[in-house]
Amino acid sequence: MAAIELRAVTKTYANVVSAVRNVDLTIGDGEFMVFLGPSGCGKSTTLRMIAGLEDITSGDLLIDGVRMNDVDPSKRDLAIVFQNYALYPHMSVRENLAFGLKLRHLERAEIARRIDGISAMLGIGPMLDRRPAQLSGGQRQRVALGRALVREPKAFLLDEPLSNLDAKLRATMRTELIKLHRRLGATMIHVTHDQVEAMTMGERICIMRDGEVVQVGRPLDVYRNPADTFVAGFLATPPMNLLPGRLEAEGGQLHAVTDGFRCALPRAYAEAYASHAGREVIIGLRPEDFHETPDRAGALGGLPVTLTVTTVEALGPETVLMASLMGEAGPEIATRVDFGREYEVGSRVTLHYDTAQIHVFDVETTKALARPLVSAG
Amino acid sequence: MTTSVVNNAPNRIHVHDRRFGWLLTMPGLALLLLVIAFPVLWALFTSLFEYTLINPGFHTYVGAGNYAKALGDPEFLHSIRVTAMFVVAVVVLEFALGFLIALMLNDTERGKDLYYAILLCPLLMNPVVVGLIWRMFLHPSLGIVNYLLGRIGIPPVNWLGDVDVAFWTIVMVDIWHQVSFMIVLLLAGLAALPREPYEAARVDGASSLQCFWHITLPLMRPVIVVTLLIRMIFAVKTYDLVYIMTRGGPGVATDFISYFIYRSAFVGLDLGEASAMSGILLVIVLAMTAYLHRSMRAIS
Repeated sequence: MAAIELRAVTKTYANVVSAVRNVDLTIGDGEFMVFLGPSGCGKSTTLRMIAGLEDITSGDLLIDGVRMNDVDPSKRDLAIVFQNYALYPHMSVRENLAFGLKLRHLERAEIARRIDGISAMLGIGPMLDRRPAQLSGGQRQRVALGRALVREPKAFLLDEPLSNLDAKLRATMRTELIKLHRRLGATMIHVTHDQVEAMTMGERICIMRDGEVVQVGRPLDVYRNPADTFVAGFLATPPMNLLPGRLEAEGGQLHAVTDGFRCALPRAYAEAYASHAGREVIIGLRPEDFHETPDRAGALGGLPVTLTVTTVEALGPETVLMASLMGEAGPEIATRVDFGREYEVGSRVTLHYDTAQIHVFDVETTKALARPLVSAG
Repeated sequence: MTTSVVNNAPNRIHVHDRRFGWLLTMPGLALLLLVIAFPVLWALFTSLFEYTLINPGFHTYVGAGNYAKALGDPEFLHSIRVTAMFVVAVVVLEFALGFLIALMLNDTERGKDLYYAILLCPLLMNPVVVGLIWRMFLHPSLGIVNYLLGRIGIPPVNWLGDVDVAFWTIVMVDIWHQVSFMIVLLLAGLAALPREPYEAARVDGASSLQCFWHITLPLMRPVIVVTLLIRMIFAVKTYDLVYIMTRGGPGVATDFISYFIYRSAFVGLDLGEASAMSGILLVIVLAMTAYLHRSMRAIS
């Protein structure tokens, strides 16, 4: 087990391209941390710097308090699972598992014991004598995981290991990885661009953009209190609706106003947002905060919003409605409602918005305005 | 009816395409038959007769007599031995040197194209030109090699006239000429290797040498096999260098099969026996080609 600390870690290629900038992050001993972000945000580069596969341009990497910047990957006692599995194609599954152990001069009996244990745990026993080319994607993924596990390293680095699997297998492996982490209690860093993986697997998630850490926190805290419009728009599908609007003070109350939407903010929020009264802002509305009946829209009963349906996506347990505010002239927003009622494109519906869930962002910095914390509960 | 027309249409087009394809390839095939198949068949036919340039003609049928004579000829067997030694020497040395340079080039970022261009130069040269250049360089009294050796106090070497040295001189010149071939093929193979297993091996704890031994060599095996076989086939047929540089000498020190066959045909004037020897060489090369073919099929 290991605690991993990054202090102002920066990676620059050819002194020009800055891939990672000033990353400060501590991953606790035994923690499951997820690096989340779009392609090219620097998450894999950060992971590779931790593994030692990329040099650190500046800053410090500490594992268990020891500076590891210049330590060879082979001496860091970490294991990595690659996106493309990176199995040794000319070796059998057994040889793939044993390779790292042989290099560490473990005794033959110990190698066999570990391989037996891992293959039983991952269900790869029957394929130990096969080559990677003879395995399916899911089986290869298990072998790659097994190769990492069998070494019993200080920490596991997982570089998008599920992204090449089909949706069903991905869901299964997601669950298995979570169970595995619980069982081993090992430090794991999982890189992904899939926010479902991040939300379901991570004890904490670290959201990155353009080489910088944007927000770190528990998944539901990040989800409920996104630091800026990027995080708000990145997490969840469909993402938060971000509408240009303004805050208006009227009759002793503060209103969030955009075309076809006028919402009186709860008092606690009004006080927090008072500094932005009368200013342009970005209003954030989560699709799932729209409800079909007022009784489900929070203690305040919800704000009735009349929408014109433009697209209906019936997903099974829920329906995603794309709908326009102010008839078809207003901005289009996404809403998520329970499955059951049928909606017609072009029809007008009234949904009830839970005003306690509103998000407001500064229009210039795109940062969320500080508000009373809505805890993860 | 309609169905049958629809079903037959692609077949008709297919047959038509095939005929048209044959028509297009016909001139090329005819040329190949004329310049390759005919001489080979003529030589094989000749090998069954007592055919000399003094008394040309297919008058005396000897069957496998010329083959038996060739295989019983100690000079021919010597030429096979010399050729085999040459093939082993050049292939092993060119492979070792070529792989080393290919590995270095593969890890080189700056100036790679320049190195590559320089290394390719010998390969682009005609073997006759290579032979002539080196014959001048290696001239015992006028050559630059002995001159340079003399400058550092080494006495002149009779590169092409000494029985113990001439063979290795031909080997050295062949390496100079052909090592680029190895480099090109091996470098292409190295460049195509996936990066991930190396990274996995590094994290697994492998050193550079262990990566080479456990990852590079096994993954390069198909490329290595094909490269070695192709090079061996070409080396077996080496003729130009020997003709230009040593004429098989001194004595019979560099009397390779190809040159020995040439001597038998155009100096000994025994076209029948020379054709039989060519047949034997053909069998050797065909066996190697078949093995190469099988290896390539297994790889693909």
